Amino acid sequence: MEEWFFTEEQQMYRESLRKHLAKLITAKVVEHMEETREIPKETIKGMADFELSCPLVSEEYGGAGIDLVTAGIIGEEIGRADPTGSTAVYFLVPAAWSRMIFLYGTKKAKEELLPQMTKGTIWCGIATTEADTGSDLGSMKTTISPKDGGYLVKGAKTYISGVREASTMGGGHVTLARQTLDKGVRGCTLFYMPLKDTPGIKIFQDREMGREGISTGGFHIDDVKIPKHYLIGEENKGFYIVHEGYEAARGIIACVCSGAALKALENAIAYVTERKAFGQPLARYQGIQFPLAEHWSRMMMVRDWAYKSLRIMQQEKEKKATRFESSQAIAMAKLWAPLWAFDAINFAMQVQGAYGYSLECTEQKSLRAIRSFGWAEGTSEVMRLIIARELLGKDHKGY
Amino acid sequence: MHIVVCVKQVPDTTEVKVNPETGTLIREGVPSVINPFDQFAIEEGLRLRDKVGGEVTVISMGPPQAKAVIQLGLALGADRGILLTDRAFAGADTLSTAYTLAKAIQKLGKVDLVLCGMQAVDGDTAQVGPGLASTLKIPQITYAETVDVTEGKVRARRTIEDYNEVVETRLPALCTMTTPSNFVPTDPPFSKIQKAKKKPYEEWTANTIGADPEKLGLKGSPTWVKKVYAAQTKEKAIIIKGSADETVAKLVEILKKEHFL
Repeated sequence: MEEWFFTEEQQMYRESLRKHLAKLITAKVVEHMEETREIPKETIKGMADFELSCPLVSEEYGGAGIDLVTAGIIGEEIGRADPTGSTAVYFLVPAAWSRMIFLYGTKKAKEELLPQMTKGTIWCGIATTEADTGSDLGSMKTTISPKDGGYLVKGAKTYISGVREASTMGGGHVTLARQTLDKGVRGCTLFYMPLKDTPGIKIFQDREMGREGISTGGFHIDDVKIPKHYLIGEENKGFYIVHEGYEAARGIIACVCSGAALKALENAIAYVTERKAFGQPLARYQGIQFPLAEHWSRMMMVRDWAYKSLRIMQQEKEKKATRFESSQAIAMAKLWAPLWAFDAINFAMQVQGAYGYSLECTEQKSLRAIRSFGWAEGTSEVMRLIIARELLGKDHKGY
Repeated sequence: MHIVVCVKQVPDTTEVKVNPETGTLIREGVPSVINPFDQFAIEEGLRLRDKVGGEVTVISMGPPQAKAVIQLGLALGADRGILLTDRAFAGADTLSTAYTLAKAIQKLGKVDLVLCGMQAVDGDTAQVGPGLASTLKIPQITYAETVDVTEGKVRARRTIEDYNEVVETRLPALCTMTTPSNFVPTDPPFSKIQKAKKKPYEEWTANTIGADPEKLGLKGSPTWVKKVYAAQTKEKAIIIKGSADETVAKLVEILKKEHFL
């Protein structure tokens, strides 16, 4: 079936990518990630060699120069290929946030950082969350102030993906901090914070219930000096552009969730057509058919919407859609994709009975991975606020 | 050096199922892929081009959707792609297919080497390559696992059942390629798929190649497929009991009797 939404090249790329990921992310690689809590170096290199590192960056800096819809395709296919979600995060976080350096970084920072990021040799993540602050960015405690021609940063960030990756292989995080303290979000500045060998940075790691291959943790920032050229956008205007990074990540997350859930449902279909109970395959029972039909319908619909939302976001850049249309569309995809994917994968586990609960079952791995997307890059609750804001107007904002 | 690689779009045979009532193959909804042996032929042709210089043209005869295998060839690195597509070609057997491909290759002008996959996984006749060589009146080397060219000759290592042999012939020539056991098909990344869009791609009809209509399609086919069905296998299990020595001896006897040894 030809998919009307994609170009011939995108459909061809999807086929090529699916085959390649099947070779790159094998059952053995999944096992390695679960046991060592790291993505194998060969897999990371393989992803970079296949142009999956920071591909939204232009060819000028070594990127593949893809558009957001194509990034969604990559997200969906990696969501299918890796039930742990580790490589999905390894792809989408650098993809979304290196794009911010590409769009708003200084020339010097772009020339210094992007060629390494597109080769996959250094990490690019996002650091906004703090121990006491998640969605309420205006209440962050990390501060940035101009000093000696650059900046001085103090504070701490937590629940940050890739802290181990950035501190070992190199790279850092697009970071948000408060510069003008009495202006809340209107006084926040966005900048690049390198982690490896940076005086004043002390990292720590957490253990999470899923996404084993990618690290999560945080870092203390003790009077860290940042050079001027690591500023992203303008001082005090960081909040106005950080949403672009979130929204690219959110749209891709919706595609990742769609891929993971549809794959889980396909696995469930294969199981129920073989497994028999009371003399016939489970597939013949309406108790299986009805929920299967519902989950499949929802995931196919949200999948299509996820791509549409990425297209609208692309159109915003082409001045064919407004920022608000783009934000709302992306929020709709990000609200429902993780929620429905979780339910679909949970169903796929359930039909497999006791096996669904074993650590061997890929669906329980997916369930643990997908659960994180209920808050990663923006909570489901904030997505509801954004959607309602666009429907009801700013006079009725719920925050 | 001008290398032409003939490719075919085939049903993904891993997805083809059998209708349990009629015993025939269910082709509807089966995805199409490049014939696996043809992908190896493309990659071998590209390797040769990169070694000695020249260009690679990928050519296929098929319905409009077969454009996908030409695009794949271009994405892998071929320089030019041609799809022979015309209702007049429909229903062609291997003889008519060989004739059609030959007319197209003749239209291309100077061609030094033609590469084909050894057989298509849907028909499994392995006849088009040899038929094409015969129609073009050029020498052929079949079941080649690797090819090399030097000073107007092509040298190929052929893999036969129990042995290998190295065969050489003058150019222009045709080789049919078998895939080595360690062959891993290349998957083109995004940039190569994008670049493929800009490469020359043409669709040729029966008129373009000046073909004799009597030799095309069903009309030009002395053979046709009458029926395709799954073979009925009768399951037969023999349980051999006894000590290890006894069971091994009995097994060897059975294998000899059934001509496996």
